[in-house]
Amino acid sequence: MTTTDVRPGVHPPQPTADSSGDRGNRGSRLSDKSFIFFLLLPGLVLLLAIVLYPLVRSLVSAFFKESLIYPGMTFVGFDNILDALGDDFAPLLGQTLIFTIGSTVLSFVLGMALALVLNQSFRGRGVLRGAFLIPWLVPGVVVSFLWMWIFDGNYGVLNGVLQQLHLIDHPIAWLFNTDAARGALIIAKSWNSFPWMMVMLLAGLQTVPVELHEAAAMDGAGSIRRFFTVTWPHVRGIAGLVVLLEFIWNFQHFDTIFVLTGGGPAGTTQTFATEVYDTAFKGYDLGHAGALGLLWMVLLMILVVVYVTFSERGEKSATAEKSERAVKKEKTR
Amino acid sequence: MTTEFSRRDMFRFAAVGLGGVAFAGALAGCSGDGSGGSSGGGSGAPTNFSFASWGMSEEATKPTLGAAIDAFAKKKDVKIKTPSYDYNDYLNQMTLQVRGGQFAGAAQLDVAWASGFAALGKLKDLSSVASGRGYTSAALKAGQVDGKQIGLPWTIAAIGLITNTEILEKAKISKPATTIDEFEDQLRSLKGLGGGMIPYAASTKAAQLKDILVWMQTFGSPLIDGKKCTIGDDESVKAVTWYKKLYDDGLIAPDVDRAAARTLFAQGKTAIYDDAPVGKAGVVQSSPDKDLASKMSSMARPVLADGDTPVEVLWGHLVTVVDGDGADTAAQFAQWLTSDEKQTLSYFSKLGLPPTTKKALASSAVADDTFVSDFTKRVTANASAEPLWKFPQYGQMETEIADQVQAVLIGKASPKDAMKAAGEAVQKLMDA
Repeated sequence: MTTTDVRPGVHPPQPTADSSGDRGNRGSRLSDKSFIFFLLLPGLVLLLAIVLYPLVRSLVSAFFKESLIYPGMTFVGFDNILDALGDDFAPLLGQTLIFTIGSTVLSFVLGMALALVLNQSFRGRGVLRGAFLIPWLVPGVVVSFLWMWIFDGNYGVLNGVLQQLHLIDHPIAWLFNTDAARGALIIAKSWNSFPWMMVMLLAGLQTVPVELHEAAAMDGAGSIRRFFTVTWPHVRGIAGLVVLLEFIWNFQHFDTIFVLTGGGPAGTTQTFATEVYDTAFKGYDLGHAGALGLLWMVLLMILVVVYVTFSERGEKSATAEKSERAVKKEKTR
Repeated sequence: MTTEFSRRDMFRFAAVGLGGVAFAGALAGCSGDGSGGSSGGGSGAPTNFSFASWGMSEEATKPTLGAAIDAFAKKKDVKIKTPSYDYNDYLNQMTLQVRGGQFAGAAQLDVAWASGFAALGKLKDLSSVASGRGYTSAALKAGQVDGKQIGLPWTIAAIGLITNTEILEKAKISKPATTIDEFEDQLRSLKGLGGGMIPYAASTKAAQLKDILVWMQTFGSPLIDGKKCTIGDDESVKAVTWYKKLYDDGLIAPDVDRAAARTLFAQGKTAIYDDAPVGKAGVVQSSPDKDLASKMSSMARPVLADGDTPVEVLWGHLVTVVDGDGADTAAQFAQWLTSDEKQTLSYFSKLGLPPTTKKALASSAVADDTFVSDFTKRVTANASAEPLWKFPQYGQMETEIADQVQAVLIGKASPKDAMKAAGEAVQKLMDA
């Protein structure tokens, strides 16, 4: 009987030199290639249906005049793209970068600080490690509403507290001031995402050998020096990766901005994500939304290339480090 | 014991699984939107249908609307699915679903959205169910687009200025202002009351900054002249300059939309705000002042010069029917919900939504309601549709104008530059 035992640890029969596709028994057995293809098929179908098709469809829209409500589409070449690259593009890119960089930096600083604290040994560390994860578990939209009530200009919690402390006389319209609204967005997004940074960095910190810290301390290195000479070289790789990933996610972030400021005041917190939404679903202009989406994707692709290069380099240096260590060990023997 | 699978077995299982999924899909496809209704053609037995609304997602209206839906379902022995979305997301959700063929049945609609929704080309002509039901001609007109009755009028009124008479009296205001100058003086008197009083909770948040349009009209800008957008003319600039003055002097406040204005009014922190009569129920319900209902009144929008006619903007809800499964029963539901006297009066008594039939409007229940009858005389009598409503891209036009008005309020742009930019953006959308 020609069955293939798929139990772990039990190896399937090796194909013979002339029968990688089992030509001799084609009616009853599958080739490895077919089997691999069969296993990949559901994933590929899903990928095509929910990722590739919508992506290609929206990119195609960039070259057509197309409405969400009227049927039909007219080819307009690069008109939509040139239009999207007009006067509003630079401010939009700037606003997107302010939000992206601000949220990434703040969540990294918070994440790193907490990871360093929680890497120390103290009572209640486990509870705190769990507690700090809570903001990450709260859905983005809920977080946005939470911060909306905090920053509300008329009956917000922040104004209430500041007035109670006699720090302000009148309520401040935080979300009605460009800088304050940007700050509010950055704070809300960072509050939601710092736990993820913290967990990743904590994992990195736990790979730092304690002996190195002890040796550096014996040599008289203070905690700041130890951080830069012992800790940082070990976590630099993972820190770079999480920062890059967070940057990419923030660059595409939508819900906090949509709920908290809606892109306001006066469109000064509008980012690519909210602008594409407004163009497509308020202006019903799929062509312009597609063009903006195309430009946004090009920028994202650059970031993805940086990420892939960075992670490949990280992998290579890790492999090189490993083999170097192995060589050293061998020499010591 | 271990079970051994050959790759052929895996294929077999997968094929059976896929077949099952395909069969289930085919069954689901046959049942339409899942409501189990039969095809919408003909006027046979009642069928299940869907009724989409934002009313079912709002605390103030959900119990009353839910009871009405249940009553019809029981009467006709059908099931009614009630998808609901927040008002601000409703139009987008429904546009996407109707365009994608994912929705059929009855749907609540703001009168401002009628043109855009009708442009989808999926709405049933309700002329036959509208005739002989006694709707007022103004109400029927609100549901017409290009001569087609795309919706039945459910409630029609206007967005007007709602006042708290007690606070006005405290500020020694015995008679509401008739001109803009008087109005501004009264706002200053209200500001003088202190205690963080916001004299007029005018909309300043983008979501409801469309309220500025009626002030532009009050200052004399027609907004649209033929195929030309007039925003950016002297009158619209004067209106925004005045709005900015109110803002800078603390007579209106930042961060206010309709919901915030209602909350401020309920808490007694503002004396005047813009709303339709529908807002009263929620405001009264959420107010710590148990007598607030008796203190609520309305005033005609002040005019530029004595003798001018106040400009008011129409407000209302329609019930439309998207063609497809259950559409005929959905049309019957729309007719019943909007014109059955018992139903409309019950709705009015619970939510204060003015009915749209002559008979219901003449009933003692409506005539004896001082708030609504005053509102009808002072505000609704002069109400007309917003000129921009006829454009399907109305939502984006609103956003463009709101962004520019906000830019003026936060000092980022001058009224002249901002209104020029807004006018150009609206013109571009009109020409699209």
